[in-house]
Order: sequence, then structure tokens, then C-alpha cells
Amino acid sequence: MASRKKVLLKVIILGDSGVGKTSLMNQYVAKKFSNQYKATIGADFLTKEVMVDDRLVTMQIWDTAGQERFQSLGVAFYRGADGCVLVFDVTMPNTFRSLDSWRDEFLIQASPRDPENFPFVVIGNKIDLENRAVSARRAQGWCHSKGDIPYFETSAKEAINVEQAFQAVAKNAMAQETDVELCSEFPDPIKLSGDNNKPRDSNCPC
Amino acid sequence: MATDHREAEQLVNTSDSDLQEAEFVETNEAPGRCDSAVFAKTDDLDDLTLNITNGVIQNHRGTITSLIRKRSKRSNTPRDQETDADLTNNSNPSEQDIANSIEQSELSSELSEDEDVKNGLEDLSLQDTESAPEEAPSVTLIPSASESDYVNSLEWKQQKKHIFILSESGKPIYSRHGSEDKLVTIMGVMQALVSFVQDNKDNLRSIVAGDHTFVFMNRDHLTFVGITRGRESTQQMLLQLTYMYNQVISVLTHSALTRIFKQHRNCDLRRPLSGSEKFFDNLLNLMDVEPGLLLTSVRCLPLDSSVRDIVSQTIVQHAKVKDLVFALIIAQNQLVALVRMKRYYLHPMDLHLIINLINASESFKAAESWTPICLPKFDAGGFLQAYVSYLDEECQTCLLLLSVDIEAFYTLSECCTKIKERLNRYNALTAISNSLQRHSYSVQQCSIGDLRHFLYKARSTAQYTSPELGPPYNTPDQQDRLFGLYHFLHDKVHSVSRPLKLLYHVGQYETLLGWVTQGFELYAVFGPLVTKNIAIHAVNKLLRWIKREEDRLFILSSVTF
Repeated sequence: MASRKKVLLKVIILGDSGVGKTSLMNQYVAKKFSNQYKATIGADFLTKEVMVDDRLVTMQIWDTAGQERFQSLGVAFYRGADGCVLVFDVTMPNTFRSLDSWRDEFLIQASPRDPENFPFVVIGNKIDLENRAVSARRAQGWCHSKGDIPYFETSAKEAINVEQAFQAVAKNAMAQETDVELCSEFPDPIKLSGDNNKPRDSNCPC
Repeated sequence: MATDHREAEQLVNTSDSDLQEAEFVETNEAPGRCDSAVFAKTDDLDDLTLNITNGVIQNHRGTITSLIRKRSKRSNTPRDQETDADLTNNSNPSEQDIANSIEQSELSSELSEDEDVKNGLEDLSLQDTESAPEEAPSVTLIPSASESDYVNSLEWKQQKKHIFILSESGKPIYSRHGSEDKLVTIMGVMQALVSFVQDNKDNLRSIVAGDHTFVFMNRDHLTFVGITRGRESTQQMLLQLTYMYNQVISVLTHSALTRIFKQHRNCDLRRPLSGSEKFFDNLLNLMDVEPGLLLTSVRCLPLDSSVRDIVSQTIVQHAKVKDLVFALIIAQNQLVALVRMKRYYLHPMDLHLIINLINASESFKAAESWTPICLPKFDAGGFLQAYVSYLDEECQTCLLLLSVDIEAFYTLSECCTKIKERLNRYNALTAISNSLQRHSYSVQQCSIGDLRHFLYKARSTAQYTSPELGPPYNTPDQQDRLFGLYHFLHDKVHSVSRPLKLLYHVGQYETLLGWVTQGFELYAVFGPLVTKNIAIHAVNKLLRWIKREEDRLFILSSVTF
């Protein structure tokens, strides 16, 4: 099993349909880009191994469908996430306005222990396009208001800033990673009360 | 694997007219029976079956397909359907056509991406589309550099049985074959399947796809997945997964496990479990060769009852220490003696965890040890402290003293010294070692013609006995096949929908007889030409033989401190 140095991070990509979530992931993982749009069904899973501060990190990237909320899969996707990437399209203001609801829904579904400091990253994608409609300042303002979420402007097509954005997710998620020193605290010793053996119908799962 | 084409199967009730001429032994006098149980009475599969309604299993057959259909209903664009077709993995001809036609017109970059998706799902369904040699040579050591190649190889896909453990967030914890590190993607897919069904307030129990059965079990924030193309039934796979769950609890305790996930939902459980992988591997290996796990019962080392009495009395006299709950001696996975505190019982499933602990660890051979172990059936909430020491130079006979006192090591170490000394003085260790060298007994010793092999379980004591594996079951392949027959027979007899008292099954290569009474379970394997009458006379004779030998084969009296 895992040595102390190896870390697995579960990272979720959220955002409206067509903002380029799958493209970002493919650019990041496979260094590939396709102009053709293909909606994601349910979810895609990809993994990438990166080094963060001398530690080998396996990123388990859950690319979700933006077209629908896929609520039937919601809990599964968000549960136990270590980081979340919120993506919008800089040429489509409505995708930027949706960030609020994506963030809220994530926090409700995943209910992380410390929602204020959960490692989000916001990506404004498609900066290679001419018709930009959301300014960097506006995006940064929103990020600032949500507890200084790091903001990146990327182009999945031209591989601009993609690596950096994901590296930031990994780094921030790692910083959150409380080293779970679970085994140090010894569980209560067994007390011999005579009913240890009693069949615990409700508790005993076996 | 034998494909039993011409099998005739007869389900027999004791009132069956054919059988009236053959007389059965009175069943309430089961050999190996004892009134004061040595272990907690085994509850068999009963507690498992309670949780499972047949209907649920039926409902989720083909869940992948229905899941995909649902998805395709939602999506409107034709490109969506294309991915759907990929997902169904060619199971639906019309969708396959769509897939093919679109694949041809696709850009190369997209093609490779699709293949990724496709590969991912092929991995999941483990369908081998290419024809390959039946028995791929099993590789035990895989250099880490080729790990990722290995999990994508045909050999990996063709493993007879896969076992996975993942957290409820879809993080990998354990894989029997291949590094779980390289299976991050497939574990995500499994988690998605499980959660999709859970979201409908239901539970995914199993999926049957081709000759593979996928069995899912959710416990305490963990998902256990077993995939087999062997003869294990869903029930039997669930039992195996339960053993795996128990092994997790044994390392962490139930209270720690729930606390971990309460505090850190995203916890990577491999960390707290690190170092215990060998116990999972070993337990799974045991399950493939040791019928005791299937029968939830243990095998005792055949020993004259006088010798066994000396052993247990020695323990009683020299290990009478406060807070010592169980004291036992185990030799080569067999129980030699067990002494327990009054009011406490050792469940056979717990005992298998103890046996596994000993079996999987080399370090106990080097020095006396003090190790925490949680026994889930005894108390899932905390650790017992186990003093472990081998009693002989050859490291075959192992003494375990299980206490609730964390400070008891030196006290118990002294007990061990005394026990060892007395056992040597009474030549009991020599007797144990002689018995180990004699290798149990052969089926010929029962002197019953046509009987090739059998498993006999005394239900009240949760102990079983069986002869050594002789010809024709002297090769690993044949042993595997025999084990498959026992799985089949066991499953038929314990079928949830129709439990049987008696099953007479004529197969291509052997005839099987399964017989379950209040007192015992008997699974007998005969040559193919045996007749029903001969078989019934033979098992009656066998029961008489076991009765004669029961003092030697079983621990009949329960010893307490």
C-alpha cells in the first residue's frame, strides 16, 4: 500500500456545459486538444501523477457533465474530494455567473469539514478567443470575495496556464491534507463486561 | 474447468420414495457434536442472507445497461449516443452500429480518447474479447516499473478473481492483483456505479456479465468489490468480502474506522492500513485453498484426546492470569487447543483472522511478540493484545495469549516459558509435531470405496474435518476444480430461495452428495459411476467412521480458565 510519500488527491472539475472542462483535463493529462465539442456523459475519470514539493501525487481527476447537474450521481462525485476546479468561459458571462451555484452545490454535496478554506481554484478558459466578455478584474473580484480563491486564465486549446492551474489545485489540496495521525491515539481498551460477545444485531455487520 | 453438459441433478427430500430403502443414520447423534460449545455457535450464512433479498439482486442485473439507457434518454445530441454505445461495450447491436459508423468518421485524436473510455469500461466488465490461452501463467512478482502495463494487460483481466477495496469517495485502498495505485480510474467507475444505485435509495448487490459475477458490499464508508469467474456464488463472494472487511477491522477497529471517516471524508485509508497488505493477500490465498473459511469452521489438528487434554490443562494451570481472555495453540493453520475465559467465546471468523495473522507473518518466528489485534465478532470496538510465540525450534506450533491488559507482556511471557517447559516434559510438543508430520489422514483410511474426498462440519462446535487431497486431486488444477465443486454443492444446499437437506448431483467427472442436518454438514465427492444407494450407504459408513475418530479429529470439550 501507499508509502508515506505517496498521496492521492481527488479533484473535481465543475462548470457549465461547453466551458471546456474536458478539454482542460485532456490538455492537462494527455496534452491533447480537439476543436470538436462532445458532451460528457455522467463523468470521465483520468489520473495524472505529478510531483508537488518532492512528494509524488496521484491526481484522480473527476470530469463531470456540465450539461445537466447529474444529480443522481452528485453525491458520488463530490464525496471525499480534496480539491475542486470551477471553470467558466471568458466569452460567456452567464457561465461566470453560474460559478456561485456550482460552488454552493459543491459545498452542500461534499460538505467538507472546513468549507471556508476548501481548496478551490477558478479557471477562466478560452482566452485565445477574440470575443472576451468577462474581465480578469471582475473574475478576480469574485474569487477575492469567496475567500481568495486562486484565479487562473487559461486556454486549453493553446495549453496556456493549464499546467499551472492544476499544479495550484494539487498544492493547495496538499496543504490542507492534515496528516491523519489516526493510529497514534489508541482506541479505548476493551472492558470485559460480559457482553462483548453478545450478538450486536444492529451494529455488528458480519 | 469442466463443463458439465450431461449433468443430471436430483434434489432429494428425505421422504423421497427412491431413498426409503436406504436407511439414514439418526441425525441428532452427529459426530463431533458437543453440548458445551467450544466456539460461539456459528451462525453460518444466516446473518448474511438476512440482509439480502433475492429480488434486489434480480433488479440490478444489467445495471450497467439500464444506467446507460437512462443516461442516453437524457442526452439529446447524437454525439452523446456515441459515447453511450461505447459504454455498452458492444452488448447492444444497434448501438454498436452507431459506434462503428461514428468511429470511422472520427478524428484520430478523439479516437484515442474514446478508446480510453472504452478500455476503462472493458476493464470493468473484464470481458475478454480476444481469444487467449485458457490458463495464463500466474506471475507473482511484477517489477514496479511495469505495474501500469500489468493492470492493462490481458493477464490481469483474465485473473480468476479480483477483489477491490475502495473508500466511499472512490479512492483505492486495496487490489488483489496489480497495484491499487494504478487502478485509480477503474475504482472511480465502481464508485459511480455504487452511488448511482444508492441515490435511488437502493443497494447495488451484484451484476452478472457473461461468465463474470460482480459482487458489491458497502460497510462503514468502504466499498468491497469481488469479481469472479469461478464457481463462487454471490452469497459466497459476500462471505469472502465480509472476511476482507473483518480484516480491515482487525487492523484498525471499527471505532477508529468510523472516526477516521467522520473526521476526514477524503481520507486515504492506505496510510493507516500501510504494512497490512500482506494480511489481505494471505487471507485471500487462504480462501482459495482452505475450506474452513467457506464453512465458517476450523480444522483441528488430529491428536489423541489424552494429549489434547494435557495441552489444555497445562494452559489452564500456567496461564491463569487476570484479563487473559483466550489462550490457543495453532499448528499449521490447525487448532491444537483453545482455552477461554468463562462467558467468552471465540467465533470461527475471528479465529480465521488469528490463523491468518500467524500464517502471514514471518516475524513471529524470530522472537516472541506483542501485537494488537481486533476481533470483530468478539469486540469490534477495541484491540485485544496478543502475545505470540512459537513453542518449537521448527516454528510450527504457535502459542497465542490474548489479553485486554496492555501491560501484560512480561507476565504472559513467563506463562509461555512455563507452558513450553511442561509441554516438553509431557512430550506433548513431540506428539503435536508427529501429528503434523503424519499429514492428517487419507481418504483410504476411512476404507470406503468410491469415496474420493469429503468435508464434514460439526455445526455445534464449528469444526470441520476432511482427508488430505489424494489422486485425482493431487495437482493444483484438480484441487481448484474440487474446490469449485464444493462451492457449487455448498451453494446449492444453502440456497436462499430453496435450502436443501440433501442433494445428490451426478456430474461429468464425479458424483456429489451434500447433506445438512441440525448437527452436521457433509459434502462428499464420489467417482462418477457410483449409484445413489451406494453413495448413501457410503456416507452412513463415513459418519460411523467419523464418530469412531471424533475424539482425535475434534475438540469435544470446551476448556475454560
